[in-house]
Amino acid sequence: MAGAYMMSMGEAHRRILDYLNRFSDAVSTQDGKSLSRLLSISSDSHHLLSLADALNTFQDANRLIRQSEEYSQYADILLPIFRALQSYRLRNLVESYQAFEKASNAFIQEFRNWDSAWALEALYVLAYEIRVLAEKADIELASNGKTPEKLKGAGSLLMKVFSTLAGKGPKRVGALYVTCQLFKTYFKLGTVHLCRSVIRSIETARIFDFEEFPVRDKVTYMYYTGRLEVYNENFPAADHKLSYALSHCDARKEANIRMILKYLIPVKLSIGILPHAQLLENYNLNEYSNIVLALKRGDLRLLRHALQEHEDRFLRSGVYLVLEKLELQVYQRLLKKIHIIQKQKDPNKAHQIKLEIIVKAMKWLEMDMDVDEVECIMSILIYKNLVKGYFAHKSKVVVLSKQDPFPKLNGKPVSS
Amino acid sequence: MAERGQPFRQARGGVTRRNLSSSRSSFFTKSATRYQPPQNCNLNIRRNSQHMDSSFNNPNGNVKDNSDNRSWIKDAADVIDEENNLPSLVGTCPFMCPVEERLQRERLRDLATFERLDGNPGKSSSNLAVKKFCRTISTREIQVSDVRPLSVLEGTLNHLFNLFHSSDHPFEVVHDFIFDRTRSIRQDLSMQNISNNRAITMYERMVKFHIISHQKLHRSSSSPNASSLLYLNLEQLTKLLMTLFNLYETNRISHSIYDNEPEFCSFYVLLQIHPDSKQGEPLSLWFRNLPSAIMKSKQMCFARNLLRYFRLGNYKRFMYMMKSEASCLQCCIVEPYINEVRALAVSCLNQAGYKLQPFPLADLSNLLLLQESDVESFCNECGLETSSDEVGKRILAPKQSSFFHPRKGFQKYYPIHSEGLQGVSINLLDL
Repeated sequence: MAGAYMMSMGEAHRRILDYLNRFSDAVSTQDGKSLSRLLSISSDSHHLLSLADALNTFQDANRLIRQSEEYSQYADILLPIFRALQSYRLRNLVESYQAFEKASNAFIQEFRNWDSAWALEALYVLAYEIRVLAEKADIELASNGKTPEKLKGAGSLLMKVFSTLAGKGPKRVGALYVTCQLFKTYFKLGTVHLCRSVIRSIETARIFDFEEFPVRDKVTYMYYTGRLEVYNENFPAADHKLSYALSHCDARKEANIRMILKYLIPVKLSIGILPHAQLLENYNLNEYSNIVLALKRGDLRLLRHALQEHEDRFLRSGVYLVLEKLELQVYQRLLKKIHIIQKQKDPNKAHQIKLEIIVKAMKWLEMDMDVDEVECIMSILIYKNLVKGYFAHKSKVVVLSKQDPFPKLNGKPVSS
Repeated sequence: MAERGQPFRQARGGVTRRNLSSSRSSFFTKSATRYQPPQNCNLNIRRNSQHMDSSFNNPNGNVKDNSDNRSWIKDAADVIDEENNLPSLVGTCPFMCPVEERLQRERLRDLATFERLDGNPGKSSSNLAVKKFCRTISTREIQVSDVRPLSVLEGTLNHLFNLFHSSDHPFEVVHDFIFDRTRSIRQDLSMQNISNNRAITMYERMVKFHIISHQKLHRSSSSPNASSLLYLNLEQLTKLLMTLFNLYETNRISHSIYDNEPEFCSFYVLLQIHPDSKQGEPLSLWFRNLPSAIMKSKQMCFARNLLRYFRLGNYKRFMYMMKSEASCLQCCIVEPYINEVRALAVSCLNQAGYKLQPFPLADLSNLLLLQESDVESFCNECGLETSSDEVGKRILAPKQSSFFHPRKGFQKYYPIHSEGLQGVSINLLDL
């Protein structure tokens, strides 16, 4: 497919000149949108694909560029862009990225000189392409048995882009978009701690006012920073950020909502808030169904089973450890049910629960627990204020407080 | 392989092999005074430090800002200047210590106890002297004749670990020597970009050394240096593990895993059972990229379960698992932190217990894996009083308001004690 389309030299010549004209027109009329279209290499747009074919046919674009002052002033951008396109078309993704890197550096230089923020949209496309082309380049490197290192370089380049926007002028509203590209890069690389410095710049530098940024970027930003809070198990902060992302996300973007919910649900569960089954159904998040059910029923076996069933998925998204901790709430619920059953039998004595009964309940759930371990669980539940009361070591009884023996979490995580 | 992402890959690209150019020797100039005695080694980090790998994590301990290199002792590998793209060298030094260095240190009387011939502080031999770790080496100064090839490095490691097993000297002295000399070995390995299976074995052995040191240093923490020694040891242990994981990953053929990989991964998990574990990279992120075979392995399941019990506060299961399932090395890692769990247990029992039904210390002894006499002092250190019941049995009465958690650490060292515990002496552990 690559280069299979044969065109005449004349046709190739015409297409290249067409692009050059579009480019210089876009810059001279400060048309950011048109300029952005000329940079989106990975979009596989018909226009760019045929341009790539033209370049591979004509082979001497350099001469065309140098023909006129209008084009040659942007030679540093145009020549590597052409190379990037040609390589991309020929499936040489590493070379494509390398050329695009050069083009980006030259573009950034020019961008700095342009007043106003007219070219921001083009810069967005540039940032996006840097990341995407680097990812593709790394795949190619890895498949050839080499060390994938382009995406890492892309990270540095994106930081450069970021710093051109970190100024007092109108260009600064673009900083959040680039930040999000950086987040995606770091998350992909696994070097998530590098997000910290960018976050610091956005949140503490006085040049930025968070409210000024476009909503779309704010949602993405809160999504990623929310995920970081989940990994660090700061549940109140995670709840705040992911909820922000959810409430400001375009309701039609179902895939994005699903991604937000994937992380928000474990957070909500950790602070005692259960989602409706319908929500899970609507957004295809059924891996959480049994976990929610286990919490409702106090069924420890079901929780452990659900964790095992979806272990790989939960590990990959990084919520496994968070979900594991829900056990304590499940114990609380189980105890509550036992208490309710006892109240029906004998309301006066219901607040005293023999540990033996709990052992039996556990056995019934196919959980092997001796009375010592039950005592341990009781003491930890009391210690963490999931249960109000005390236990008598010798009599092997837990005595519940007559008032509110099972305090609700009220939006706070279980105390550590 | 690329799909998984590489959380630990060090950017220096050190693991790619480069072809040796025939004019390699012209890169290195002979210099009569190349070796610098350690007193003159200044701590200035080289000018090219901005190229140093900033994606390297220190998952344990304090993570400072990456630009603060001084407090963050890098693996010597990263000293190699990426810009020059020098081909990887092959060392030719046939001895454990380059002759020039040994002669210079003899002259300066800078010989460690273990390097002295018949105790003479000014005389060593090629069988005793071991190359020292030097922090600042720029590539321009490296001579091939100062770098030890792989087989010599393996022999050096054997020599060092023989010392470890047989020495009569106080442990801190032995530890200090081996600590430094193994760092030098790692430096030589990195300079030569050695990352094959033999390197993996060497790293595994060095990790074991640091793990045993971890426990032994905690046990004998008498000297004033103790806490910084502990910190430095832990730091190196973590760096070693990261490098090792990198090596496993780079050498991986399709989806296979190394024999020892599950065990060493479990060590990393167990290191997170630490009172101050505000890790640089949260465990959740690390788990994302581990092969399934490792996550489901016996050793990892043990570590993951232990971590779960720790996080949930299930002290009973935690202690039980330590007693019944922990391997020797796993014990070494966890033992220094087990007091956290004991303190939690005592705190819970004290808070939630019934005043009129105290806990027999004998029961606590079994629960907390402490000798009964140690239970007394442990409780006392937590501000709790023990007493006797009507028949003279020692007990702990709950609901004492004087409980506090000794934040600065416990005065006494409380090893894991259990009747049935397989007392494999760590001295017999094969390094």
